[in-house]
Amino acid sequence: MPRSVDLAAVRPYADHLGDGLVQMSFTLPVPYSLAARRAALELAVAMGFEQPEVVHYEPLTEGYTYFVMYGRCVQSVDFTALQGEGFDIEYMDEEEIERFAAAHIGRKVVVVGASTGSDTHSVGIDAMLNLKGYHGHHGLEGYRAFETHNLGSQVPNSALVAKAIEVGADVILVSQTVTQQNLHVHNLTELVEMVEAEGRRGDMILACGGPRVSNELAKELGYDAGFSKGTEPQHLATFIVRELAARVSASS
Amino acid sequence: MALADLTASVSRLALVGLAKNTGKTETLSALLAELDARGTPVGVTSIGRDGEERDVIDSRIEKPRVLLSAGSLVATTDGLLRASGLAHELLRQTGIRTPLGRVLLARLREPGAIEVAGPSAAAEVRAVSDAMLEDGAEQVLIDGAVDRRAASSPAVADGLIVATGAVLAADIADVVSQTVDAVDLVRLEKVEPGALAAASAGVPAASVLVAERPELLALPPRFVLSADGEQIGRLLDANPQAHWLLIEGALPDSFLGALLGALRGRGRELVVVVQDSTRVFLSGRGPGWYRRQGLRIEVREQTELKAITVNPVAPRSHSFDSVQLRALLGGAIADVPIFDVRDPDYRGVRRDGAG
Repeated sequence: MPRSVDLAAVRPYADHLGDGLVQMSFTLPVPYSLAARRAALELAVAMGFEQPEVVHYEPLTEGYTYFVMYGRCVQSVDFTALQGEGFDIEYMDEEEIERFAAAHIGRKVVVVGASTGSDTHSVGIDAMLNLKGYHGHHGLEGYRAFETHNLGSQVPNSALVAKAIEVGADVILVSQTVTQQNLHVHNLTELVEMVEAEGRRGDMILACGGPRVSNELAKELGYDAGFSKGTEPQHLATFIVRELAARVSASS
Repeated sequence: MALADLTASVSRLALVGLAKNTGKTETLSALLAELDARGTPVGVTSIGRDGEERDVIDSRIEKPRVLLSAGSLVATTDGLLRASGLAHELLRQTGIRTPLGRVLLARLREPGAIEVAGPSAAAEVRAVSDAMLEDGAEQVLIDGAVDRRAASSPAVADGLIVATGAVLAADIADVVSQTVDAVDLVRLEKVEPGALAAASAGVPAASVLVAERPELLALPPRFVLSADGEQIGRLLDANPQAHWLLIEGALPDSFLGALLGALRGRGRELVVVVQDSTRVFLSGRGPGWYRRQGLRIEVREQTELKAITVNPVAPRSHSFDSVQLRALLGGAIADVPIFDVRDPDYRGVRRDGAG
């Protein structure tokens, strides 16, 4: 029963609340054998799991063994500490977004998106902006509330900023696969700085997305929001219309 | 001399790193300790996030904590203020939204470690800095993030510390030359006030060409962001007297390259004038290289560079000898003190009393 959930000490749930049971799978670069099975158990103990169990293992290819395991996680997290601003966005669905935009913004919201710099991946931007969308949800192109401009991949920041100014963008959305290389991060920060240099930072919502992008990273980089794997177009759309409505009401 | 002495006259001091892990937060910590020892009431804000335990991109890298003394002012989000557990007095709700929540201004009632995450946009950083000065801070420290420079603009800050380090390159000579270029950029010469100031008063457009005899030609919108060599060439040909190019917004490297090509082909020179160094986006080549090709970049406003700090260690990679790195930088960069705040010979104040 939800009533008995202790939100101050949340742990995985399998059969009953608080049992901490985790299913995991991984591959070890060792031949399929009893020794391999033993190695997996020891590794799970080293990871902190109690009562680890190998429920399935099989040879993957020569010299490699694949495991499915259960283990009991005794750690917990304090979910109550994760409430508050920055965490409490409730997503709207497409119709709610259309109604909200009509009521609070009252014009088309212009969104310009691109994969910047040397990044050749446009799949993230396409999923968010194009009609086809992602996971059965329309991209922003399919909404009445949005006017979208998808510039594709490998777009220099100066071209992206020029286009955003030209079409009067409310939002610039960039996708970038962030790695530990400074180059990728530099592409993202340079865009923010260029928008600042053009004196447009106050007029534009800047959002970035990519497999490793979090709100924490977005804050470091100077963006208004960050979206990572698992983001669906209506999540992004919810953020945009809420943020724009807040700006409209703050300036009126 | 320590950092706090050098920067004592600066009300809004910006800390800018040339990349991640150049030691900005270490520099901030050293400054905070020195200001605490002097009893200077400070305000602290960060355009990114500071005092987090681990690096946001590489979680294997541990980051220094930010320790503030009782009475310090801080701009950070509601959640981070609560998470610090420090007793505080709430001064203002700024209404500024960040990905981590809304920014509050608070005065700490007790010393301790706190994560700092203030506004990101330059105009908001200025507003928050001014609010902290109004509320009793004698000096506001504006910490940068990654390699972002916008908060070092003279529209935001009155003084600047640049952090550089081994992380820039595996070769010490490359670290030095990249640092020289970055310092060259923040110290771009100020445009001669006289004729140009008069000519450019009430400039009607974002970018204009100005001839010796004050004659202004407004350029099409977004010209500097998007023009190619051919368009620039036509413009130069149509304006043989043009001597300055005044740019209100961003000056990207692509434009400079195309402009240089067009000028060379015509045997002409031009001075490009931008508002300040944060408007200039170079990649690979520094202002010195362009200067040597006959293309000068000048600024209308400048934030004074007060010091350079170095981090001789690239986390999880290589490191250099601190003394050698500082000596090489000192040989290449004149008139700016260079410190390694973690070096035993640094004359700051250590919280543990060792300094």
